[in-house]
Amino acid sequence: MNSMLKSSVSIARALKGIIRIIGKNNKIKIGFCIFLALLIVGFASPYINRLRIGDKRPHDLGVGRRWEQPSIKFPLGTDDYGRDIFGMLLVGIMYSLSIGLLAGAIATLIAVTMGFISGYKGGFVDHTLRTFTDTLLVIPLWPIYMAIATYIPKLPLESVALLLGIFSWPGAARVIRAQVLSLKERAFVKLAKLNMLNDLEIVFLELLPNIAPYIIIGFINSVMGAIFAETGLRLIGIGPPLLPTLGYLLSITIGVGMLSVRPYVVAAVVGVLALIFISLNLINIGLEEEFNPRLKKVTGL
Amino acid sequence: MKPLHKYLIKRVLAYVATLYGAVTAIFFLFRLIPGNPIEAFIGQIMATQYTEAELARSLVEQYKKEFGLEGDLFTQYVNYLKQLLRGNFGVSLLGFPRPAQVLILQSLPWTIGLLGLSAVISWTLGVVLGAFTAWKRESKIGGALAGLAIVFSQIPYYIVAVLLVLTFSYMLGWLPARGAYDPRLSPSLSIQFIASVVVHGTLPALSLVLTQAFGWFLSTRYLTISLLGEDFLIYAEAKGIKPSRLFKRYLFRNILLPQVTGLGISLGFMIGGQIVMETIFAYPGIGYLFSRALGMLDYNLISGILILQSFVVLTANLILDLIYPLIDPRVRYYE
Repeated sequence: MNSMLKSSVSIARALKGIIRIIGKNNKIKIGFCIFLALLIVGFASPYINRLRIGDKRPHDLGVGRRWEQPSIKFPLGTDDYGRDIFGMLLVGIMYSLSIGLLAGAIATLIAVTMGFISGYKGGFVDHTLRTFTDTLLVIPLWPIYMAIATYIPKLPLESVALLLGIFSWPGAARVIRAQVLSLKERAFVKLAKLNMLNDLEIVFLELLPNIAPYIIIGFINSVMGAIFAETGLRLIGIGPPLLPTLGYLLSITIGVGMLSVRPYVVAAVVGVLALIFISLNLINIGLEEEFNPRLKKVTGL
Repeated sequence: MKPLHKYLIKRVLAYVATLYGAVTAIFFLFRLIPGNPIEAFIGQIMATQYTEAELARSLVEQYKKEFGLEGDLFTQYVNYLKQLLRGNFGVSLLGFPRPAQVLILQSLPWTIGLLGLSAVISWTLGVVLGAFTAWKRESKIGGALAGLAIVFSQIPYYIVAVLLVLTFSYMLGWLPARGAYDPRLSPSLSIQFIASVVVHGTLPALSLVLTQAFGWFLSTRYLTISLLGEDFLIYAEAKGIKPSRLFKRYLFRNILLPQVTGLGISLGFMIGGQIVMETIFAYPGIGYLFSRALGMLDYNLISGILILQSFVVLTANLILDLIYPLIDPRVRYYE
């Protein structure tokens, strides 16, 4: 009971520290605001679209007439099949972010587990897990994604996220392992051992709060990696056709010839995608600066 | 045994073990995918040429043998390994009856030319500019570039590619958006052909350089700035060593070690091609070949490309480990 109380106290302390840092660093602040705005717009998209076009989904054929010019009802016009591009853009944000966040969470969970076991236990366990991690690191992932997507064409969102998550943890696991290795020799961990804390207590009370920043950075990296992979695959026409993500929208706008007819439509989709990556990256770089103060003066921003 | 020899033997053994693991994983992964490409292929041949069932059956046997699909999965695996050791990847379905390695060798120059050149250009630009602007801390250019780099380095290269195509091919009409050379020309060493290759390669290369150079710039800048506070630099400066020598001999060499490693690894990964990039630009490299092979479930070609890539990445890592002491004399094998 006592240890549960202690662990919740230490987690609360870590969270408080993170909130303080968000307010302090300008890069994190800007990145966080952009990302939050995208998140809100994305997840409000079903309601926004209901107000705009009623019960139809924006990617249904014939929501509007074919090739409608941009108007108040269809701010980005419609395509060859009368699909509502602005509505698809909003929904696409939701789908792309969901896949990214879910895959990131899965990858982080695996990375943390692997990194902690590997770094804390050491010896044979560490050696085996490290060989496994290193092998996974050199296996080219894109071909595997492509193969799976080609032969299991109808994957739901959760499975796509699971797939992307399962393969993208090794990088973060390495970083966490290295941190655990250096932390476990420090005096405060030795002290905890002398105080008869068991392994789980040491991991959750002493190590986890200290490694939290690296876990968050790893999580954001995985989120970006998952969105990067999903969008790229969809762009070249691979992936479940029923998931209207931003990558899918980009591939169909290019596919129907928007590049030459209405370049601003492609530019809008590309711009939203760029915003996702820029905001996440700003948060990451801000966090790294905060936890490694030497890097603070790297940019003139 | 000397510690150096012990280290070398251990390192090479680990290399062989990882390579074997990768080959095995790749072999089984793609064989376990449902679907029978040979049946489909033979069905296609029968529909157009043969009708006799007897002949068809012998043809199936013949092709199974040729594609290395005889016996159970384990026998196939052993046979595959034997062929692999002789440098034979097996017959390709996509380019039947040519073996997979021939198709790979045809695509390889395009990929190496495009991706290798862009990788080296972006590395050189990023590392030199990154180190130099961080060294000249008082200049504003470094900070401004770093700001740009933060924005650009994480934007996927394919998004940059789409933007470049949008601007330079569709809006301005200056550069071609597809292919590696003008299809009206036949490959030769003529000036016309080379010019066509350069013009077609500009957009794909530019989109890679734009994103990669910023990445190298940022990581070099981080490295340099964290080195600047080190005691050995302050001491060297106090000793009166000329700034240019300080930069070249004390700072830059320390930066090179991790950055050369990074370059080696990225060159290794290059062999698999940039699948998305090559598909967007219909560029005839390894990535484009792979996506076509996948469409036909061409086992031998798929496995061949993946094994080649794993081989190159692992070998690049091995070579880097072995040449570290040349770049950084502080590295000792037996530590």
